[in-house]
Amino acid sequence: MSFNIPIGPQHPALKEPISLRMTIEGEVITDADIRLGYNHRGIEKLAEERNWIQNIYLMERICGICSHSHATCYVQAVERLMEIAPPKRGMYIRYLVSELERIHSHLLWLGVAGHEAGFDSFFMYVWRDREIVMDLLEMVSGNRVHYAINTVGGVRRDLDETQKARILDGIATLRKRSEYYLHIGANEPSFVARIAGVGLLPKEQAVALCAVGPTARASGWDRDVRKEDPYAVYDELEWQVATADTCDVLGRVVVRIKELLESYNMIEQMIKKLPAGDIAVRAPRKAKPGETVSRYEAPRGENIHYIKANGTEKPERLKVRAPTLGNYAATVFMLKKGFVADIPLIFAAIDPCICCAERVVTLVDGRSGASSLVSLSDLRRRALDRPANALVKGKAEWPF
Amino acid sequence: MRIAAFLPELLRHLFKKPATVDYPFKKIALPEDFRGTPYLQPELCIVCKACERDCPAEAIEITAVGEPAEKRFKMVIHNDRCIHCAQCVDVCPTTPKAMQMDSLFELAADDRHKLKKDWVYVRAVIKPKAAAPAAPAAPVAEPKA
Amino acid sequence: MAVLRTLLYLLVYPGLLFLFVYGTFSEWYDRKVYARLQNRMGPTHTGRFGLLQPVADFFKLMAKEDVVPDAADKGLFNALPAFGLAVVATSGLLLPVWNFSLAAPGWTSFSGDIIVMLYLLSLPTLVLFLAAWSSTNLFSTIGGARVLTMLFGYEVPLFLAVLSPAVLAGSWRLAEIAAFYQQRPALLLVNVLGFLVALVAVQAKLERTPFDIPHAETEIVGGTFTEYSGKKLALFRLTTDIEMVVASGLLATVFLGGFPGGALLGFASFVIKTLFIIFLLSLIRALTSRIRIDQVVSFAWRVLAPLAVLQLLATILVKGFLS
Repeated sequence: MSFNIPIGPQHPALKEPISLRMTIEGEVITDADIRLGYNHRGIEKLAEERNWIQNIYLMERICGICSHSHATCYVQAVERLMEIAPPKRGMYIRYLVSELERIHSHLLWLGVAGHEAGFDSFFMYVWRDREIVMDLLEMVSGNRVHYAINTVGGVRRDLDETQKARILDGIATLRKRSEYYLHIGANEPSFVARIAGVGLLPKEQAVALCAVGPTARASGWDRDVRKEDPYAVYDELEWQVATADTCDVLGRVVVRIKELLESYNMIEQMIKKLPAGDIAVRAPRKAKPGETVSRYEAPRGENIHYIKANGTEKPERLKVRAPTLGNYAATVFMLKKGFVADIPLIFAAIDPCICCAERVVTLVDGRSGASSLVSLSDLRRRALDRPANALVKGKAEWPF
Repeated sequence: MRIAAFLPELLRHLFKKPATVDYPFKKIALPEDFRGTPYLQPELCIVCKACERDCPAEAIEITAVGEPAEKRFKMVIHNDRCIHCAQCVDVCPTTPKAMQMDSLFELAADDRHKLKKDWVYVRAVIKPKAAAPAAPAAPVAEPKA
Repeated sequence: MAVLRTLLYLLVYPGLLFLFVYGTFSEWYDRKVYARLQNRMGPTHTGRFGLLQPVADFFKLMAKEDVVPDAADKGLFNALPAFGLAVVATSGLLLPVWNFSLAAPGWTSFSGDIIVMLYLLSLPTLVLFLAAWSSTNLFSTIGGARVLTMLFGYEVPLFLAVLSPAVLAGSWRLAEIAAFYQQRPALLLVNVLGFLVALVAVQAKLERTPFDIPHAETEIVGGTFTEYSGKKLALFRLTTDIEMVVASGLLATVFLGGFPGGALLGFASFVIKTLFIIFLLSLIRALTSRIRIDQVVSFAWRVLAPLAVLQLLATILVKGFLS
């Protein structure tokens, strides 16, 4: 006898509203459907009415956890449109905050994964240690969330020696604690029994469904925008992409903890190599007409912003492709053949940031000029209807 | 895989002080550049309206009051709209800055109209450096309430 | 006079009022220990040291609106919380604390009362299943199915483990079992394995981590309790608290040598021993994460049941050796 069980939009397992409709038989899931739109706020439309500086703060508020990712991705695009380059010191501080944000986001995720699995003590300990990062971010930027350290042309605040020393201290403590959590996460029998073998995503499927971020890296696919397309300071630092081979939730835990350890190394290198100089260049109020795409490795995966400017001080079109959106197709695949008890874990393992992913897609028919609003689930269904082994085009043309 | 790998750590915590800070009876110290709420130092403001133009939340409103010759202006800061980004402080062109940030963050009120602050003042005149007006003491952050 | 005495016995001590007070106290103790293990504060501000927090929770729930779903079976839905509380409170009367003299035991101590107590402790599980079934909510149904599935796992090891010391003592009466071990405390060591098995099985009976799958918050919203609110939920939570007290009282009687020393000392020893067992249960709760229902059943049959059988064999051998 098969049931249709709704997870969401209101459910204790979800931090944000999303509707997952599962068809289950007993405890096994036979089909899954994702419906979005509960958190749509019209940010892309709002962005068209604000000038370049006001939009930094709007972009930050797409998400609370990866706020700096959106702000930085946007600012990278705007700086490219205005053809200005921030000074080296500004770049270092900007990406230092990026790595601090990656740490805070991964620690948050570790705690949430523990809580979804019922491992509340682990959750409490990890979040207690996350307070160290939050205090560091507050010291550097003035606020624990929504750091607002970017401005067009550089950063707004500088780092002095006491702050650098405190950051190094905090990182040293966190490194010890993270190694302990790696030991526990991989060894506590009840926890591992819950996460090993759950949410399998083989590498071919990860590639075919365009998974991004740690979800893809846990399937052995080493994609990382910071290595493929090194922007700013990442080619001056020594670091490695973290991957795992187990293709399941345990692999994703391991990948995120390894990324934590890599981030600690990167922050120490950045602090030691921090060059002297200005922290920002003066930016013009208007941007030259043009369009550009900017990519950024957010804690959840690849974040893409597209901006079209028309010579005024407001953007003409701003489009955000958040990483969680890329992982939804892989999630549907992972949910089928899973257990009901594993739904929260599988869903939490992609580190969903549903607020990031709430966008409307408008399809304009090239020939007739008619436009229609298509919901994302329709688009996905159309995409999945294409042959499963369609080749990924090497030089994809950006359709706009 | 060891059973109870976690146990020694757990038991050690029985003898430690809790990590929770007993707010509101005890509070944590704020860092120096904490972004609280914005406030105006009216004697320095030259009414360039850069803060009003760049505020992402439209939280600053500057209007002229009285006769145009008086050069009196009224600035209202809508703290119920403010997102505490400090862009107004960054963009203020005067030295020392007319817009400043304090460290207040415990702003809860049951009527959002009580959160608006306003100042009525005469526009300041920028004098040449040689005869700079006696600048007020360097602004300090207001003590926590 | 005897009627008044019986009424006081049933309603005040050791009846409902005492069980209410001691149940909420042990919930406070459990929450405080759990919090301290996690480096947190636990209840702090309600009453001195937060002692009144569970009482405040109870009264808050009593004051909330009680919503009964349209499709629910109203008779069962409304009656079950009170029935569960009655069953658990009755089993509390059988603990050998209140009838401390073997010579004049009163009507709550009789041969076979250990069986009655185990039976009365299994009834709440059936009550939970019926409550889930009568809610006719999808999440409740899954929760109810999980409750029964878990029952098939832990019940047999629990019975075997608790009855082994009775076999060694040669009696089915709790007061006699306790007296036997009070006279020969060295024999308590024979039952250590059974004690550990019983601890894990009691954790499963009380539906606490790692066995809180039937009402796992992050998966099925509330399991059995999804549709319950207001007074009924308050009674269910009180039932769980009292069940914890009674189960730890049972374990203390059978494995830790009972409560010797007469009225006052016996009561003090009851408090100390039950708090020790609740401490161990909280430790297990903080130590592990939730395991899936199929893993619970396979763990129970592959690990717990063989260990319980081993304990029984050891008991029989020792008994044969002694006689």
